[in-house]
Amino acid sequence: MGWTQSNNRKMIWTIGGGKGGSGKSFITANLGICLSRLGIRVILIDADLGGANLHTFLGISPPAITLADFIKRRVSHLHEVLIPTTVPNLQLLTGAQDLLNAMDAKSVQKRKLVRSIQHLESDMILVDLGAGNSVSVLDFFLMSDGGILIVTPEPTSVENTYRFLKSAFYRRLRQMVSSPSVKAVIEGAMDRKNEMGIQNPYDLIKAVRRIDQTEADRIIEEAEAFRPNLILNQVRSKKDIEIGFSIRSACLKYFGIHLHYLGYVVYDQDVSNSIRRRRPLVLENARSRAAQCIMEITSKLANRP
Amino acid sequence: MKSIKDQTYYEILEISPTASDKEIQRAYEHAKETFHADSLAVYSLFSEEEVKEIQSAIEEAYRVLMDGVLRKSYDQSHFQSVGGALPEKPLEVQGDIREKRPSLSFTGISFQPDEELYRGKTLKQIRERMGVELPLISKETKISLKVLEWIEEEALEKLPALVYLKGFLKGYAQSLGLNPQKVVEGYLRLIEESKRK
Ligand SMILES: Nc1ncnc2c1ncn2[C@@H]1O[C@H](COP(=O)(O)OP(=O)(O)OP(=O)(O)O)[C@@H](O)[C@H]1O
Ligand SMILES: [Mg+2]
Repeated sequence: MGWTQSNNRKMIWTIGGGKGGSGKSFITANLGICLSRLGIRVILIDADLGGANLHTFLGISPPAITLADFIKRRVSHLHEVLIPTTVPNLQLLTGAQDLLNAMDAKSVQKRKLVRSIQHLESDMILVDLGAGNSVSVLDFFLMSDGGILIVTPEPTSVENTYRFLKSAFYRRLRQMVSSPSVKAVIEGAMDRKNEMGIQNPYDLIKAVRRIDQTEADRIIEEAEAFRPNLILNQVRSKKDIEIGFSIRSACLKYFGIHLHYLGYVVYDQDVSNSIRRRRPLVLENARSRAAQCIMEITSKLANRP
Repeated sequence: MKSIKDQTYYEILEISPTASDKEIQRAYEHAKETFHADSLAVYSLFSEEEVKEIQSAIEEAYRVLMDGVLRKSYDQSHFQSVGGALPEKPLEVQGDIREKRPSLSFTGISFQPDEELYRGKTLKQIRERMGVELPLISKETKISLKVLEWIEEEALEKLPALVYLKGFLKGYAQSLGLNPQKVVEGYLRLIEESKRK
């Protein structure tokens, strides 16, 4: 991953993957609050196409001003569409539809938008990607400094996460290679029933090596550099916690990629209680078990150099 | 990025080449749990055959690494190829996004190829730890069971002439996956020593 370099370097984290309802928005909002309370200037971006609701997790009404106002040039600077929250150092940017549309476009507009985001006054940006698997979501995930997958310990959630990871992984490889025939092989490999008999990334490398040695090496390099993160949410037992480590091992064996297990959040009734009251958990009930888990993950993110 | 076939036993278990027995045990239990047939973490990612292949690789890695002697000879054959340096980058155990991979070097650790290693008794120990019956080796190598027993018992006076013995030792070593050259050398040294006494 690697957003275009800039002088005022900030970390951009994208939160996605998994399934609808795995807790992406809840975790994004509460992580953002915890980080900003450490004195880090944080901007939350709601990029969930289907159901933008990050504002509700923060206890604010649907914002009147969105990214569209910037894209349609009703305002001239991106920072003018940032919405303040009740928490100092924490701002919100909404307007998912427009954001992802802009990401889709291979245009000057996309580059301009990325540059504008990069120049916002902040230290860290957290992007809630929603549950989507679309090309623009994948690109956003891949362009960020760190992608975080929120998974719950259920087969369906893990399955969807792998699907997301596979799409992201192959898309990244496809972007990295230059030979059209190698690109074609990678595209073919994304379908497990492909005619080339490519079942996994190792088969892919073998197939690519037959065409182009250097491209095969580049793919291996890319797999090394691709380091997504994992948060396991709604954990109910010690055994559930272990599933995070198992997912990490499975990814290492299957893709050869290093998935970083950032931490877990326990299943806690206080979570839905706080959402109902439209009060962020870490503010409303900082001593709850789920809030404690979020704080632990916060310190890991904050300490990333 | 290496397929399971190309991974070292340490990589298969995701441990460092200096892992203690306790760490190996823990890693093994984790691996077994992870690559269990209906494990949540694998069922939608791997095919059934792939899971089976990984399972047997895990068992094999565990069997060898938990056995001091086997592990030593495994390390010798895998890590001493190029001037004692580790041929591949060691596996990162605690993954961290920005963490440089620890560059473990084996230069400080010597594996002291121990000629005494392959006496009859040690060969027997290795074989028993591997759970291989002598008749099976006999069948596989076409070496008479008696001779194999004499080799293990170090019944030197009963052993056949040296030219034959060398061939038998090589066959025995190969069937256990040991380095034939080393086994022959070790055993001949044993004979030399007993002659001097
Ligand atoms: N740790 C938890 N303990 C208990 N309930 C939780 C926990 N995390 C999430 N939930 C419940 O799951 C619901 C969905 O969470 P959230 O809206 O954050 O998911 P999401 O991944 O953003 O969903 P979508 O993909 O639809 O945007 C919450 O309303 C909450 O009730
Ligand atoms: Mg959401």
